[in-house]
Amino acid sequence: MVDFARVQKELQECNRDVDVSGISVSPKGDNLTHLIGIIPGPLGTPYEGGTFNIDIVLPDGYPFEPPKMQFSTKVWHPNISSQSGAICLDILKDQWSPALTLKTALLSIQALLSAPEPDDPQDAVVAQQYLRDYQTFARTAHYWTETFAKASSLGVEEKVQKLVEMGFPEASVRSALEASGGDENMALEKLCSG
Amino acid sequence: MSKRVLCKFFAHGACLKGEHCEFSHDWKDPSNNICTFYQKGVCSYGSRCRYEHVKASQLQYSAESAPSSSANSLQHLVSCSVPVSHPYRTSSVGVGPVSGFPAELSASSIPFFPPVQPIWNQESGHHDLLDNGDVGELRSVNLADHSICSFAAAGNCPRGEKCPHIHGDLCPTCGKHCLHPFRPEEREEHLKTCEKKQKHLEALKHSQEIECSVCLERVLSKPTAAERKFGLLSECDHPFCISCIRNWRSSSPSSGLDVNSALRSCPICRKLSYFVIPSVIWYSTKEEKHEIVDSYKAKLRSIDCKHFDFGNGTCPFGTSCFYKHMVKPGSYLWNTTLMPDICRSSVLDLDDIEYSSDVMDMDAVLVLFEHLYRPHKPVGVEELEYKSDEDLENEVSMAEEMAFFPNADWV
Repeated sequence: MVDFARVQKELQECNRDVDVSGISVSPKGDNLTHLIGIIPGPLGTPYEGGTFNIDIVLPDGYPFEPPKMQFSTKVWHPNISSQSGAICLDILKDQWSPALTLKTALLSIQALLSAPEPDDPQDAVVAQQYLRDYQTFARTAHYWTETFAKASSLGVEEKVQKLVEMGFPEASVRSALEASGGDENMALEKLCSG
Repeated sequence: MSKRVLCKFFAHGACLKGEHCEFSHDWKDPSNNICTFYQKGVCSYGSRCRYEHVKASQLQYSAESAPSSSANSLQHLVSCSVPVSHPYRTSSVGVGPVSGFPAELSASSIPFFPPVQPIWNQESGHHDLLDNGDVGELRSVNLADHSICSFAAAGNCPRGEKCPHIHGDLCPTCGKHCLHPFRPEEREEHLKTCEKKQKHLEALKHSQEIECSVCLERVLSKPTAAERKFGLLSECDHPFCISCIRNWRSSSPSSGLDVNSALRSCPICRKLSYFVIPSVIWYSTKEEKHEIVDSYKAKLRSIDCKHFDFGNGTCPFGTSCFYKHMVKPGSYLWNTTLMPDICRSSVLDLDDIEYSSDVMDMDAVLVLFEHLYRPHKPVGVEELEYKSDEDLENEVSMAEEMAFFPNADWV
């Protein structure tokens, strides 16, 4: 059974200094076992300026079992799968400790963004590029940040505008955006698939 | 002396002492019908009390004038309940009635029913009549025998200055008048226990603020009493509640967490600790922690190890087990390793083994029979310990439950 009292406390604690850390956690639905964490891309990295969403699922054993975290925003990073968003981080696996919180875990992920570990990769393609051609890696990572990690910061009208400009009718754009929860990439996929 | 007073339990047919009762079980003997509460000063029943409300000095008189069989016992009762602030009455047990009363009574010319008022009024007169120095001496001897006023000791005596009992001196620690002025040992003891209590209270107060780093709650504010305990780690000083730290350490390794680098280590500093010590207070100094750990270990040492089972089982913790390992004669270990005929052989000095009735201390035996025992010792005890630490945890928690009841002061 998840210790909801603790999760509540963590949410309060985390959202108290959201202005300083930029890290926030909020429940996805009315259930506290499914949360969304938001971390800003660390300054001085290709991820700077981006806002990354992380999908958090708390297992029954939380806090004695690590929370399941993965990026829902696409990221180009050696330790994060470019396909699934899975994160390779020891504290989310065998080095988890119940003294860690959602906030500290998200901070660790933020630190991982600024200090990749290409020798212990999650995404082999990205890791190889990082090791062989850092310039290309940095450009790609920056492009992905611009494309995927900034879009969600646009207002609804801007998103609609953007999609309408692509040639979709406004009514279907609005319904697609609503259905995908404001994620314009998902809305675009929906519109494309029909 | 009190044999002549009718036992009040016997009178109700319920004396459990039978023949050994110090009071009389003979219906012919008069019953003692004097209210002891009235003697002490306050009887909450007042006029409705079924016992007689008479003052001590009146009793003395009646005891003296009426040569009834209960005279002695009544006097005995008087001497027990005499309020000490009246030197006359304290010292006059046996003296007063003989020297003072007859003269006074003849003067008042009412020989058989002395009016209450005159007698009480005469007290000061008697006091003057008697040799003052003598009284003082008697008084100082008796004072140590009298207990102090319990009202004052509890905090407040409603009678204040007029209270007939000794008011104790003020205890600097608890702020109550509970130090007996004439019993140095008692004073010493009270001061000692009081200080200890105070220290414990302070530690408890300090502990109230401590939060468990796992559940993020104040440990001593948890809903159930069993949860309101700290789990001390042997190697570091990070606070957790006992349920959280036990829960964490007993998590199944199948969850992908490493036993030694994650589960057995402190969740905060990751320092490896082999055992958890339950405690109701959080320590502030290293000595306090030592004290808690030592008393916990001492408690476990007094409990028989269920794995060892008096020599019939095998304990995975071997000689480093916290529990008592006693070999009973006739047990498996006794029969196989420590055959009694070997014991009797002259090679071994049996005096070194400490016998306690039919059970002997395993450690002493181990030292003696080390050469015999070696081959039986499991290989790599240390390694074994690592793996079965969980067992120790369970056993420790079992012991904790067991120890919960007999040791109320621990809780």
